[in-house]
Amino acid sequence: MAFPYYPLQDYGPVMKGMVIGGLGIFHVYLAQFAIGGGVLLAYFQWLAGTGRLPLARRVVDGMFRVLVLVSFVMGALTGVAMWFTTIQVSPRTIGLMVDQFHWVWAIEWTFFALEVASGYAFYRCASRLDDRTRFWLLVVYAFAAWMSLFWINGILSWQLTPGGWSETGGVWAGFFNPTFWPSLLFRTLASLATAGLVGCLVINLAPGYKRSERRVLIHRAAHLLAPMALMPLAGAWFLMAMPADSRGWVMGGSIAMTLFFSLGVGASLLIGAYAAAMLVSRRLMMNAATASLLVALGFFATAGAEFVREGSRKPFTVRGALYSNSITPDEVAKAREVGLAAADPYPLADGVAYPTGQLELGAKTFRLQCSVCHTWDGANGLAHLAETWTTQQLRLNVAQLQRTKAFMPPFAGPAEEVEALAQWVRWRLEGAPPVWDTTDDPAVLRQITDDLDAVGTGPGIAIQQREGLQVDD
Amino acid sequence: MFPFNQPPPTAFYVALYMATLVLHVVPMCYVLGGQTWLATVGLWEAARGPASAPVRGISAALRDWMPLALAVTITAGVAPLLFLQVLCQTPFYTANLLLFHRWMAILPVLIAAFYLLYLQKSKRFVDWPAAGRAAVALIVMLLFGFVAWSWTENHVLSLQGQAVRVEQYSAGGLFYENAETGPRLALWWAGALAVMAGLAYCQTGRLAGASRPLAWLGLASLTAAPLAALAWQRSLPPEVWSGLVAQVWPYAALLLAGAAAQLVMWALVMRSRRFLPLVAWLLPAAASLTTLGVAGVRELRRWQSVDIAGFYEAHARAAAVGGWGLFLFFLLLNTAIIVGLLAVVRRGVRRSPVDRA
Repeated sequence: MAFPYYPLQDYGPVMKGMVIGGLGIFHVYLAQFAIGGGVLLAYFQWLAGTGRLPLARRVVDGMFRVLVLVSFVMGALTGVAMWFTTIQVSPRTIGLMVDQFHWVWAIEWTFFALEVASGYAFYRCASRLDDRTRFWLLVVYAFAAWMSLFWINGILSWQLTPGGWSETGGVWAGFFNPTFWPSLLFRTLASLATAGLVGCLVINLAPGYKRSERRVLIHRAAHLLAPMALMPLAGAWFLMAMPADSRGWVMGGSIAMTLFFSLGVGASLLIGAYAAAMLVSRRLMMNAATASLLVALGFFATAGAEFVREGSRKPFTVRGALYSNSITPDEVAKAREVGLAAADPYPLADGVAYPTGQLELGAKTFRLQCSVCHTWDGANGLAHLAETWTTQQLRLNVAQLQRTKAFMPPFAGPAEEVEALAQWVRWRLEGAPPVWDTTDDPAVLRQITDDLDAVGTGPGIAIQQREGLQVDD
Repeated sequence: MFPFNQPPPTAFYVALYMATLVLHVVPMCYVLGGQTWLATVGLWEAARGPASAPVRGISAALRDWMPLALAVTITAGVAPLLFLQVLCQTPFYTANLLLFHRWMAILPVLIAAFYLLYLQKSKRFVDWPAAGRAAVALIVMLLFGFVAWSWTENHVLSLQGQAVRVEQYSAGGLFYENAETGPRLALWWAGALAVMAGLAYCQTGRLAGASRPLAWLGLASLTAAPLAALAWQRSLPPEVWSGLVAQVWPYAALLLAGAAAQLVMWALVMRSRRFLPLVAWLLPAAASLTTLGVAGVRELRRWQSVDIAGFYEAHARAAAVGGWGLFLFFLLLNTAIIVGLLAVVRRGVRRSPVDRA
């Protein structure tokens, strides 16, 4: 079988998903600031240029420096880091995304170029430009930044809901997928809110303003928080557009996802409540401490939303096309016949002395199929999950992974590889003794084969649909 | 002629990759070469006192433009990175994975270097003691050097076969040693200085006395680059070199023509006492020509080691994916907007009372 094996690395006690997720949340928050920041600065420049609020001009100049230092440096490089980290964690996922959407990414690149050109033109020359030119420069900057969101949003939302792409393979059928518009709306609102909050913080920290001036400026910056009123609508729209099983994880099916969802909603509600109070009462002042706290809350809201977005794709990284362990549905079916881990050309490089070939095969199986979401005894560690299971239970749970937890992919391998993984887990739970028997009881292997056959090679949702369980789509 | 002797989809993506690579390499050379200049001048000033006024003028211009140049380099780097993944996904991804966090270290290193560039550009920095300025400039140069070395190492590793990959993985080595890496890096670095000298001439050639040091730098780097190229040639496996010789002549011709043109122009600059506007236009053009030649040789070297035929099917599939027309539309539109926007800003700056003063 022409399976593309990669030299997968071990992250020790850290779950690979945590690395990409953590970086992703940080990058998304910076990107939101860059997008909303453009709108905020164009708005302030308009206020200054039309004479409504002349002192807004100073905010524009000061905040643009912050934007350059934070977004142009950290935003740009964490964007590249996302790409490289995805290669490290799941090369096949990024490979599939590039294969399908390289022109969309290339289009996004032209908008990056526009963003950089307009941004640096403003950064270098704004002090010598008239208000009208400054305003239009900022409008172009804000438009370019938002367009980069438009294009990347299509690719990211495609991962969860590939839409017509699944049937036709058409790039635009995938791009304008069921969650494209709600996701775009939600992210736009989040960007405006983020920029509004950071704006309040920057105005508080900037020297040289009187208290009354700060109050006026902060109330203007808080205008960008007003569209947050639409967030519940956008969020509900997004939830309704999700596949029913994914929505099920969020709405209680997976407690981690439900908690993160609640964190996102709770943090957004707190920010929204404060924003509403600010907009209603002109006497209310947001000081630097409060602004910092709200910026932090905004970060947690983003973290919650991104965790839900990433997690709800399970057991896929691209729904229906690629499982979270970078194996395609077709390859699962083939691997059941010919094996998968046994042909992995990369040796084990973990420095562990394996007493038997079966244990080595088990370790390779773990590396290939489990290590993207599980560690041995760190985050989401197998040692903690399986320590109370009997060997028989272990065999059954591995053979029927998608029934054990429907957000896990089906096992990709024959009975021998299930048994190897089960033995490897048992051996490690027993403290990795130097002597360990190889198990090759035909009755055991037959039973595992029966267990594998019983669930088939489809995802857990397929079993649910087949057996008529908990499907309310 | 390579890449047009390949099936159309492959030729298309290789050509696109090379074109966008040149767009990335030119500003990259400005950053690497510029920071090498700043570190060298910084060390000189720390040891021997202030440099001459023209040298300080060049340094000031470089310090001022370096953050923008790095931003442009990073942005321009997105496109070749994208097309590289369309062209030869497996070798590139495998090299990335093998070098693991040693490779990923380029990202925090670049972030640190980026902020130090802003520090280096700040007004307060000029008032620092010479030793402090030299230390910052040297650190930033070393950080860029680390990134350049990592890219070179990654690229050389991506050219190796499965046996080397397995050996590298088994050893758990975060570094990959190969005779090709050093000369290849030296060639890029020397070339970067030549390109930077040409671009800096456009920026600062009007400053009294600035042409001559840049001409010396241009001539010196154009002399060093062939030596590095020779060392690189000697590091190549014989079968790779013989395969390369058969096809390399169009790119070698471009490279040599560009280098010869730069030599002639630097000689003109040395002879002339005044700024030569035509040379200021032609130097970057010649440097870009040389860069295109180098990019061609680089790709030919890749295809000597990577089984290109094994990727033909993937290229054909990628070429069938929609979006190319829209990309072309937005490329032209956004290029036009950028050109228009820069013209408007230039006009606005010229009308500004500050500028007129």
